[in-house]
Amino acid sequence: MKLIITDIENFNIPVRGEQKVIKPNGSIRHCIGCFGCWVKTPGRCVLHDGYEETGGDMGKCTELILVSRCCYGGVSPFVKMVQDRAISYIHPDFVMRKGEMHHKRRYKNIITLSLHLYGENITDIEKETARELLKANADNYDSLVKGVYFYKSVEELEDVVL
Amino acid sequence: MRISLINGSPKVNNSASSMLLEDLAGCLGENAEIVDFGFHSPTISKEVVEELEKTEAWVFLCPLYVDSIPGHLLSCLIQLEEAHIHNPELHIYGIVNCGFYEGIQAEFALKLLQNWCLKTDFIWGGGIGVGGGGGLAMMPKLESGHGPRAPIEKGLAELADIILKKEVQKNKYVSVAFPRCLYKMAAQLGWRQMIKKNGGKVKDLRKTWE
Repeated sequence: MKLIITDIENFNIPVRGEQKVIKPNGSIRHCIGCFGCWVKTPGRCVLHDGYEETGGDMGKCTELILVSRCCYGGVSPFVKMVQDRAISYIHPDFVMRKGEMHHKRRYKNIITLSLHLYGENITDIEKETARELLKANADNYDSLVKGVYFYKSVEELEDVVL
Repeated sequence: MRISLINGSPKVNNSASSMLLEDLAGCLGENAEIVDFGFHSPTISKEVVEELEKTEAWVFLCPLYVDSIPGHLLSCLIQLEEAHIHNPELHIYGIVNCGFYEGIQAEFALKLLQNWCLKTDFIWGGGIGVGGGGGLAMMPKLESGHGPRAPIEKGLAELADIILKKEVQKNKYVSVAFPRCLYKMAAQLGWRQMIKKNGGKVKDLRKTWE
């Protein structure tokens, strides 16, 4: 299953195969740093606003596709808040990976990550940050990078098939 | 010199960011007039923006969330960019604390703040990535230059000096002076104690949702 997290409310970009799309639907609450998703309701966020199950969704997907406005080389606040609320995809315990401390896996699936960023004036520095950031995400999720793609507008994105 | 210390943790109290903020304020001492701000939610008021504008340097302190700054703080940064504050002399600094041992893991969170400065035309003055932030509350404050917090205290003192001189430093990365294997063990013991306190069992830590 492809899991798409996007800030595009009227998301109509074609996606090949089985999919789940997480997009703005009412207001999202931001992560409050309580670690409840690890030590109260393990695997699920304790905030109930419709976005609490993303960690579990990530455990079922083969691909995680982030489609977002580019904000300083990262994703937009909505997409980031969904990501922040989904840290239950990983286990709180630590492991060493590439000489650094990261979290242990909770699920066995190996996710392939891709990042599609749109925006009028994405600079080369932002593009570089985005590429490095996705690699860092892949290390933390113990996953693989498929690619990082840039578009000048949402309309340009509508020509691709995810 | 008026300096804004901006706590970007979602937690209002008892966060590692607030501890680092207090330590930095101590280093800045009486040489600065410190104005505290709490960016604990995704929106900031017009009054807060106006107060910020009256200061000469802004220091953002936040936890590392998924290799970057927390989503709510990102939302605040966008509001500040959209406020179109014209102050090419404004210096911005950042302190990002990681639950991971290695401060270098905050590299891209600091890079994001740096990229925000390019959009806003503010001066990026540099920052610190703090590793082992999750253990700060448990680590005693000892005589200056001693104990597990010493490398962090040194980094904060150096940054305070840079801020007061309105200078610029390269981003620096520090970690607690505490063995990584013991830090890992202590953290994992902590998770087990917390889940038991919440009425769960240790095996629940690895629960999956199929």
